[in-house]
Amino acid sequence: MADDKPADTTPAGPPSAEAGDIDPRLLEILVCPLTKDTLEYDRQRAELISKKAQLAYPIREGIPIMLPEEARHLDDDA
Amino acid sequence: MPLPPKLFDRGLLSLRRNRAVVQKSRDDFLLAHASAEFGDRLGAINRVFEHCLAYNARNGVLKQALQASGKTGHIIAADCSAAMLAGPRTQGLLYDEEALPVAGGRLDLIASAMSLHWANDLPGALLQIRQALKPDGLFLGAMLGGDTLHELRQSLLRAESELTGGASARVAPMADVREVGGLMQRAGFTLPVVDADRLEARYDSLFHLIGDLRAMALTNIMLDRPKTATSRALFARAAEIYHEDFAHADGRIPATFHVIYLTGWAEHESQQKPLRPGSAKQRLADALGTVEHKLKE
Repeated sequence: MADDKPADTTPAGPPSAEAGDIDPRLLEILVCPLTKDTLEYDRQRAELISKKAQLAYPIREGIPIMLPEEARHLDDDA
Repeated sequence: MPLPPKLFDRGLLSLRRNRAVVQKSRDDFLLAHASAEFGDRLGAINRVFEHCLAYNARNGVLKQALQASGKTGHIIAADCSAAMLAGPRTQGLLYDEEALPVAGGRLDLIASAMSLHWANDLPGALLQIRQALKPDGLFLGAMLGGDTLHELRQSLLRAESELTGGASARVAPMADVREVGGLMQRAGFTLPVVDADRLEARYDSLFHLIGDLRAMALTNIMLDRPKTATSRALFARAAEIYHEDFAHADGRIPATFHVIYLTGWAEHESQQKPLRPGSAKQRLADALGTVEHKLKE
């Protein structure tokens, strides 16, 4: 189980209603469903990254898709 | 630890729920029933739950019922189906209940309606829910179990054995109320309560029932379900048997839905607990005004 250290997320930037934007209250509690580790929020690519699982979970229309089968593998980087 | 064999195709569940969204004209009466029940149960609790998660996003029914209780703060709507979550206000969380993406001890309330009956690993799902709750956090669950759809199960079984001499997995196995109680304890919930409600729906025919099940995304997702299309003859015979064996006087057929309600708390020091054995400060005999006889060794 992950400990309680805060996730290092939310890069500074002007607020806008982009597809990759995510409710901060949601961001605060999310972890990787596989490893239960904290996630990094990549606002540009609209992804939540689990370093340990080597997966990037997509955010579609503000909804984090926390399914490993929908996630991008970090090694097959575009 | 070896994992138990998988019963359900979780990917197919998402597809079925996506498809069920199209049938907007139909209400999910089971979801409505469970949501209202959750609202009632919250209404009876004298506190406000600040951070909440509501699993089953269909038409916002569950979230609205929780809000209407006046006992909830911020509610995250969640589902395994993107189509169920899509709406004018795009906010929500998509995940599979078997892999909860929430950090330990973050939520005050988790409500799961009409979904846990599809879990391959119910003990694991319950454990993850309990771990995601803050101390004194509450879990409310509703799932199908018991003898749900027993009429349909029997009719299909008889029709299939008559026509093909065999039987295949057409109605999912259901959890038993007592088993679920044990699982709640195993998952570490305090003050667990499990009870059940029996609902009977009436339909004109087996085909109307199956249409409704499809609209509620309750059709078969078992991994070893028959993969070839089921013959019309089988359904036609099953419909006859269903009618002969179960129809009411008005000619309509009943379908039983057994909803199991799960309630449990994450441990907190303020909760009532049994005293340790041997820690009594008064003798039972004194309280009863009688004489205590020692047991002979």
